[in-house]
Amino acid sequence: MITRPGSLPHPGPRLQRTTSADTVACPGCGRRYVGDRYERGLRVCASCGLHARVPAALRAEQIADRGTLDVVPMALPDRDPLQFDDGVPYPQRVAEARAGTGSDEVFTVARAAVGDVATVLACMDFGFMGGSLGSAAGEAFAQACELAVAERRALIAVCTSGGARMQEGIASLAQMARCSAGTVQVAAASLPYITVLADPCFGGVTASFATQGDVIIAEPGARIGFAGGRVIEQATHDRLPDGFQTAEFLLAHGMVDMVVDRRALRSVLVRLLSAYGSATR
Amino acid sequence: MSATTSIEQTERERAAFAAVELARHPARPRALQVISRAFTDFTEQRGDRLFGDDRAVVGGPAKLDGTWVMVIGQEKGVDAMSRALHNFGMPHPEGYRKQQRLMRSAEKFGLPVICLIDTPAAHPGVGAEERGQAWAIAESLTVTLQLRVPVISAVLSEGGSGGALALGLGDRVLAWENAVYTVAPPETCAAILYRDAGQRARAALAMKPGVDTAHALGMVDELVAEPYPGAHAHPDIAIAALAGALVRNLDELARIDINTLLAERMERYRRAGG
Repeated sequence: MITRPGSLPHPGPRLQRTTSADTVACPGCGRRYVGDRYERGLRVCASCGLHARVPAALRAEQIADRGTLDVVPMALPDRDPLQFDDGVPYPQRVAEARAGTGSDEVFTVARAAVGDVATVLACMDFGFMGGSLGSAAGEAFAQACELAVAERRALIAVCTSGGARMQEGIASLAQMARCSAGTVQVAAASLPYITVLADPCFGGVTASFATQGDVIIAEPGARIGFAGGRVIEQATHDRLPDGFQTAEFLLAHGMVDMVVDRRALRSVLVRLLSAYGSATR
Repeated sequence: MSATTSIEQTERERAAFAAVELARHPARPRALQVISRAFTDFTEQRGDRLFGDDRAVVGGPAKLDGTWVMVIGQEKGVDAMSRALHNFGMPHPEGYRKQQRLMRSAEKFGLPVICLIDTPAAHPGVGAEERGQAWAIAESLTVTLQLRVPVISAVLSEGGSGGALALGLGDRVLAWENAVYTVAPPETCAAILYRDAGQRARAALAMKPGVDTAHALGMVDELVAEPYPGAHAHPDIAIAALAGALVRNLDELARIDINTLLAERMERYRRAGG
């Protein structure tokens, strides 16, 4: 690949500009942003630094080189293996999530160049049923892995999830195996796999593909773990240490490679792909 | 619970949770009992060589029907003291790292691996999180998927969450017929879905925890019959039936070329869960 001078040599994302006078408030400190300033700041508050949640499609746009994003349409199975009904039938819950988010499922998968390196981006949407891992999400991620192998692309997964999708029961548990089968193939092809853990990331997602990356990046303040803090308190009556399960806590315990501010994420990804991307086409 | 809940609904919930209670029956045979009665020459190896020894996971070489295998099991304990010692079968990261270490030894020396699953879930605790519970389970999954020896998993009584799946990616997966295999214990499921762990019976009905569900979805290949009214009443008969199924499957797997077996394992888990 061609190296150019400068810390961010490649054209970064150009997010949609709006001229609206509407304001957006930071969910952390309440600071108000006019028009598209909050979006252009990647939803990171300039005052308190809070990293707000980003829907999957927007996340892919934030990472990709300008004009290279190509969302991969996916035919995913609609399955309801348990005919699950907790007052609202499961298919209806999925339909509501689709109407609410405008996405088909948890994952948005896209081809993109990142610093001129060919990648597949697999981004999760916490807004879609808490980013839960059901069979459609598992299939989407496995296909993303296969696409990376077939086209010799690096794989970047942005992970945010509450964990398994309870409504699919044991079929949801099986997705951990399915996603792991995907990352094993990517590793066997010597292609780099980088995971970005965003707030929150728990359960079967953390206990499978989210932590199988060659590089694990966490966003500042993100809560990441296997069991949630509330579950741990109830089960053990342990007092949780300060900052328990935050990105910084995990960095101190040696579980993540780095904690990276979202505004610097792209440049870090560009560097890592430059270092590790020799097997990409 | 809604006011429209009928008596019939309550009865169904009660029956669903009774199945979970049967699987959790304290007299059901535990991993160490299975190992001592179905295997010979078990030589336990302890510790993960990183941090500590997790007694919720036991393992080492043993002979099954005269053949050396690596047996790794989740042990719940049989009385108050041993249950505390084995942490009720809920492993810490050290347990999964011990599993990985033993699996690598098995691969090195060409021993098939037999995993005995019996856990409500991986241990939820501060220390477990600090030492990377999720990381350990994720690693167990990738290690098992690529292991160049046959792997058989058997759900003895309770298979709950990723904590069970970590030992569950066998070329063949067996289960005693009264076992449960679930994405999470019904208590956790209820806490997530209804924000009330007390509604565990309602969650048990909705999540269909019996291994017959996992069998129908292809996560379990073979249900091993238990003598009536269950393995807790006649443990020796149940263990003999399980041992027979293990030996038969081991013989079948031994005849498959390892590259074919690995390709089939990857394909199986690539399609897992539909």
